[in-house]
Amino acid sequence: MNRIYLDHAATSPLRPEVHAVMAQAQAEGWGNPSSPHAEGRRARALLDGTRARVRDLLGARHHRVVFTRGGTESDNLAIFGRRTFGIPLISALEHSAVRVPALHLVQGFGRLHSEAPTRPEAPTRPLAPLTFPVSRTGAIDPDSLDRAAAGAPAPVGVVSCQLVNSETGICPDLTPVRQWCLRTGTPLHVDAVQAPGRVPLPMGDELPALLTLSGHKLGGPHGVGVLLVHRDVPLDPHLLGGGQEGGLRPGTEDVAAAVGFAEALSLALAEADVASPRLDYLRLRLEAAIVEVIPDARIHGGEGHRAPHILGVGIPGVSGDLLLASLDLEGIAAAPGSACRTGTPGPSPVLQALYGPEAGDAAPLRLSLGWNSQEAEIEEAALRIQRVLSRIRRSTSTPVSETVA
Amino acid sequence: MFVDPKDPRLPAPPLPGTRPRILVAMSGGVDSSVAAALLVEAGYEVLGVTMKTFCYDENQPLAKGPSKTCCGLDGILDARQVADRLGIPHYVFDVEEDFTRDVIDDFVHEYAHGRTPNPCVRCNSNTKFRDLMARGELLGCQGIATGHYVRVTPPAPDEGPGALPHLLRGADAGKDQAYFLWGLPTALLPLLHFPLGAFTKPEVRAMARERGLVTAEKPESQEICFVPMGDYRDFLSRRLAPRHPALEPGHIVSIDGEVLGEHRGFAGFTVGQRKGLGGGFPEPYFVLEIRPESREVVVGPKEALASATMEVGDVHWLIDEDLLRTVQGGHPIGVQIRHRAGSVAARIEGASDASVHVRFDVPQLAVTPGQSAVFFLGDRVLGGGRIHRVGGRTLTAGIASPGADAEPVSTRATSLSETAPPSLQRP
Repeated sequence: MNRIYLDHAATSPLRPEVHAVMAQAQAEGWGNPSSPHAEGRRARALLDGTRARVRDLLGARHHRVVFTRGGTESDNLAIFGRRTFGIPLISALEHSAVRVPALHLVQGFGRLHSEAPTRPEAPTRPLAPLTFPVSRTGAIDPDSLDRAAAGAPAPVGVVSCQLVNSETGICPDLTPVRQWCLRTGTPLHVDAVQAPGRVPLPMGDELPALLTLSGHKLGGPHGVGVLLVHRDVPLDPHLLGGGQEGGLRPGTEDVAAAVGFAEALSLALAEADVASPRLDYLRLRLEAAIVEVIPDARIHGGEGHRAPHILGVGIPGVSGDLLLASLDLEGIAAAPGSACRTGTPGPSPVLQALYGPEAGDAAPLRLSLGWNSQEAEIEEAALRIQRVLSRIRRSTSTPVSETVA
Repeated sequence: MFVDPKDPRLPAPPLPGTRPRILVAMSGGVDSSVAAALLVEAGYEVLGVTMKTFCYDENQPLAKGPSKTCCGLDGILDARQVADRLGIPHYVFDVEEDFTRDVIDDFVHEYAHGRTPNPCVRCNSNTKFRDLMARGELLGCQGIATGHYVRVTPPAPDEGPGALPHLLRGADAGKDQAYFLWGLPTALLPLLHFPLGAFTKPEVRAMARERGLVTAEKPESQEICFVPMGDYRDFLSRRLAPRHPALEPGHIVSIDGEVLGEHRGFAGFTVGQRKGLGGGFPEPYFVLEIRPESREVVVGPKEALASATMEVGDVHWLIDEDLLRTVQGGHPIGVQIRHRAGSVAARIEGASDASVHVRFDVPQLAVTPGQSAVFFLGDRVLGGGRIHRVGGRTLTAGIASPGADAEPVSTRATSLSETAPPSLQRP
């Protein structure tokens, strides 16, 4: 049985074009970009050219392009890098790569390293990061940021809000967040790893102070990401060592990975106008197939604007791990949610934030599409998914075994 | 120790032209690893599944030292590695909710009522197989396999159509796990595969080594998986409400009702356990009975531990009606009243609904309420239940010591003050 890959939000397969330019870069730019000799200079030239390419692709005239080893590193750098200026204020839907560092900082981890002033009346060691809610339609109440900041144990040093939620596809409305940041003079960090080629990226003057991108979500290589850093926004490194990447990300650069990243980003942006409606159509096809057999399926964020490539659903009355195993055996690669949460029990913080206590009532299933998703295979996937869902639903409605002892 | 590839004890291959899908429960131990390997080699399509039964308390996972239990995170990783090596899919199923309800809550409830439960019996025959069966069915599996040391054989031809397969003790008497499986759903019997039932433990280890399985040298699991370091009293005190009667002080009394001392909560006691009462007593005393209503712990000399009869409740049978009538009609049977003990001769004197009255041919020592009683005909498991009441205590002579391979009462009692009794040991 042919495999159908519906987990692009976790990792998209490497595009052949990217593979080709990376092979060439590895052959030419294998030297250490910090070395003064010809081999080093060749690598340096390749890296500098790639950095300029990324800057041009994003119209980032006022930003530094910092290559990191992935989205998590970029997010961590954006959050921890602002630790001397205060604590992070983040949306309730953030990925763990933002949420967990934000929690550490709000719990005082940051004070070990910084002089961030603490308000004497503030509660000590809160159990949750400082957040503002996002509705199921992606709406954000401008007052909620004021309220959150007022209850904070320290000044807000950075605000973080993602462009696309990776579990549901929900696109939070950044406008009120931008306005709040502008009004308070707080830098905005936007995690956009799911966005390129799917939803419009902020570019040029629209770019936030800090922006995270990742290679392997776009058909690029693993282990490479970018953090755009506005030149006027002070940021401290999180890793300490040499002076690479302007001192913000020490360690010998992976030139070929950077080249691959730029190629994948270029392809994604160039194809976005065609790819986005195509992905939207394919996702709706899957959505309809699921609702046909499970009328009470909960489409996560179904009421609002969503990214075209992510379908998050809650299937009531089934066990999530069984559902995923059944799909795998039917040749369908799907996910329960963020791959970074594998092994963590209970409903995800994102679904809890969106659905409250009802989050655990349904098994979460995430299907996500990408650059090589084909209509024919999506049609086939829809049939297989219907088959699995019907079987599981039928069996769980009748007792399957006796209970003894 | 080499097992010949043509050894008739190896699993029989599927019918020609078929490749039935079998779900193998892989705990991450050596036994289930080899069970999976043997089925793959016999030509079945094997799915490896690890049941995640509970999460370690995140606040104290490593503080108390490495755990040797079967179902923790290490077990999942080991099982995954073995599955990769065998080239089979591996899935982790979270059964924590069921496990907590069926096994842990029951464990706490039983101790709170002065009984000594077998959580591994509940887990094996209830949670584990029930969940495996439900999931296996949904995953299109035609069979369920585990690494238990027991055997299943088809019914004899003269038993007629529709007769149940026989569940038998494992060939390795030292590893036999039949005691833990009396509660299997009967509907499951025809679907079960126990590829190790005819082998000995050393043979299984040798097969694991030969196949380069990472679990080959893994030590036996000994503890109850959810009780860290076997400190079940500490576990109970964290699970029970504060000032629960089972944790409150009470009297230690003699058979005649004379108060001999104080205890710090009856949840710390098990029938048959030796109770040190300080100086002044010429012979060791043993716990004879726990009375939860009055919080009294009754102690007496070793001879007083003997019982001639017992009431077994929650009875479940793995046999057909005809045989059941014979057995309940007083046919001589064997009964095993604790793990790692042989069966002793007994008869069922009376039966009602889900309980039976059993009389031992020779009175038995330390028959413990809460423990499983498993009925045998030779090696065949007939069924079992939980010991509810013990009767016919006799102080006269002529008491049996519990079979040669049983736990002598004296050894049972040596290490029992703060640790789990052997009756709590894992299979």
